Amino acid sequence: MSELKVEVAGAAEYPNTTLVRLKGPLSGAEQAELDRVFENIIQGHPPFVVAEMSETTIFTSSALGNFMNYRKKLVERNGDLVFAGLSLDIRSLLNLLGANRIFRMYNDTQTAINAYRWEKEHLRQATHLSFPSDLKFVPAVRQFVSRITKQKNYGSRDSFRIETIVDEVCNNAVEHGNNTAGRNVELTMNIDRERVELQVTNATNPEKVDMLREMSKSVLNSPQPSLEQKRGRGLALIKMLSNDLRIGFSEEGTSVHVTRLRGE
Amino acid sequence: MNKSQPYNLELTFPGDIDYIPAVRKFVAETLQAANFSPKFAYRSEIVVDEICYNAITYGCQSLDAEITIQFTIHEDRMELVVKDPGRGEDDDRERLKHAVEGKQVQFPTREQGKKEKLGLEIVKMLSEELDFEIDKNNLTSVRVVRRREGGEKAPAK
Repeated sequence: MSELKVEVAGAAEYPNTTLVRLKGPLSGAEQAELDRVFENIIQGHPPFVVAEMSETTIFTSSALGNFMNYRKKLVERNGDLVFAGLSLDIRSLLNLLGANRIFRMYNDTQTAINAYRWEKEHLRQATHLSFPSDLKFVPAVRQFVSRITKQKNYGSRDSFRIETIVDEVCNNAVEHGNNTAGRNVELTMNIDRERVELQVTNATNPEKVDMLREMSKSVLNSPQPSLEQKRGRGLALIKMLSNDLRIGFSEEGTSVHVTRLRGE
Repeated sequence: MNKSQPYNLELTFPGDIDYIPAVRKFVAETLQAANFSPKFAYRSEIVVDEICYNAITYGCQSLDAEITIQFTIHEDRMELVVKDPGRGEDDDRERLKHAVEGKQVQFPTREQGKKEKLGLEIVKMLSEELDFEIDKNNLTSVRVVRRREGGEKAPAK
């Protein structure tokens, strides 16, 4: 049987993570070597450890016991030990042993580090979408945003409310924008663990700008949205569903900025 | 008033595989909104999934890297350009080149590498045109054209 090779490095481009590459069999017999490596990491390396195992050939229950011990020590130091790049066979075996209830497993190192940054460092991610000013594209746009929030573990209720906000803002952008200008509607979404910020910009329709300015003033300044008002219901709905709503008008375009804090 | 075709869309998202399902579904739903059939839309979804997965896996060296999709919908076809910042590795360039040319070449890579090659073969099979470009800054652009399939008619005006 070939021997286990262990390499320890900081993950490329990211200083707050320790990457441990394990090549060969993890049979449990190499415990002394791994004890030494992990003791060294626990003493002097960032305590978030990604065990990269794309070249690990065997993973026995005895080795799993050792890793549970290393993880416990890292968690005590506010860190974690996660697995990345496991082969399907080893991953299935670990699932059978119940290891998936203790260890998080990722397809690759980068995904593991992204998940860590998202959770511990409140990583904020930006998405930008430019789409034609046409109502038929709005359902795809709102569902795109909702799918991202769900993927990022926002609850289904939160995601649906964010979807409703996107639907209203984008419908307004198309209906009240200057569609003859040939300019797309621009949507920017910033998301982190705690909030979603959306900014939607369209080309201003010069004929409607005064009416829109008046309407937005009345909705933004009223403490309670009036349900009897015929116009501006969409804007009132956005206001009810969001934590912050700002609207800017200029000759360049109309820009709506909405912030919604995660509720669940 | 509706804008007439071609429709131009552009999407920029983080080099994070969490985004791929939302991106591929967005492309499929946009195509259906533009009167392409569900079958065409679903096959385009497969193409987007494979190219974006490759772009993130092989093209995003930095954790803050972004992928850009330029997406044009014509009456008879859709054109897609997926751009990633690239890693500047010869292996990646060769893999892409061989996949685009349809050559059967085994790369001395791990098991995962073989799956990527298969992914690009699927893209080639489902597309009428597939080409790529790598500029001097390693910015990699993969361009795909898919045309309406036989029997599928463009909607009447």
